[in-house]
Amino acid sequence: MVKTKTWIIIISAIFLLSLVFSALIWLRPQKANVAEIYVDGELYRTVDLSEANEDETFTVDTGRGVNTVLVSAGKIRVVDADCPDGVCVKSGWLTGSAPIVCLPHRLVIKLADSGGLDAVAG
Amino acid sequence: MDVRRLAKDGVLTALALGIFVVELQLPALTPIPGVKPGLSNIVTVAAMFTLGPADAGGILACRLLLGALFAGNMMALLYSAAGGTLAYVTLLIFRRVLTKNQIWVASVFAAMAHNVGQVLTAIAVTSTPSIIVYLPVLLVSGVAAGLLTGLAAQYTVNRLGKHLK
Repeated sequence: MVKTKTWIIIISAIFLLSLVFSALIWLRPQKANVAEIYVDGELYRTVDLSEANEDETFTVDTGRGVNTVLVSAGKIRVVDADCPDGVCVKSGWLTGSAPIVCLPHRLVIKLADSGGLDAVAG
Repeated sequence: MDVRRLAKDGVLTALALGIFVVELQLPALTPIPGVKPGLSNIVTVAAMFTLGPADAGGILACRLLLGALFAGNMMALLYSAAGGTLAYVTLLIFRRVLTKNQIWVASVFAAMAHNVGQVLTAIAVTSTPSIIVYLPVLLVSGVAAGLLTGLAAQYTVNRLGKHLK
């Protein structure tokens, strides 16, 4: 049997490591100004955020439901969705490397160069 | 199956479901999808370490199915089932290597396994591998949630274990 102290050390190590990686992902400066909208893993539309001088709202019909996307002042977010949980709306503005995800509609919005953990490490 | 056992499983399923529904009413702690305390797993963990794998599995399966029905979100069942199965298998493994005072450790690893299952399902559903970036932050919340539910399960088993068996 492994000692309780050993378990505490293992769990603390995993916790701290995850915390460091989370910080790296969320706080990573936003270099790309192009957002990509994916439906079902396929590129649906790209939005150049730096060129968005005026607020723009458009809808994405994913075939499973509709998401309303707002582009404003170089930022992008989902403002409305007809899915049951509304997680994508609560996610707010797209920041850092964490994509906005709407699972029921299989919609993902992410910055063009955010390649995931590799991009953070590299 | 004898009536005593059936009654115990039924009561524990009702308890887990009650906790699950109450937790649904709480506002989300963060805007990050998938971050939640998962308090109903206190029952799953306690059942696993007192009644055993068969009863714990039955209670978990009934709670997941009825919970999704009560929440009116059958889509969520897909993610919770993937996470739930991985967490259940993790509990099974850790059950064999832990002492009776280390029950909470199993809960922490089960919570992390649940998060891995969630992220893998999300990647499979959206065909977007970059969702993996959510894993570290979900693991942070998973360790915290697993510790909370695990300690609650530990104290429950310490005090009520004899009555549950």
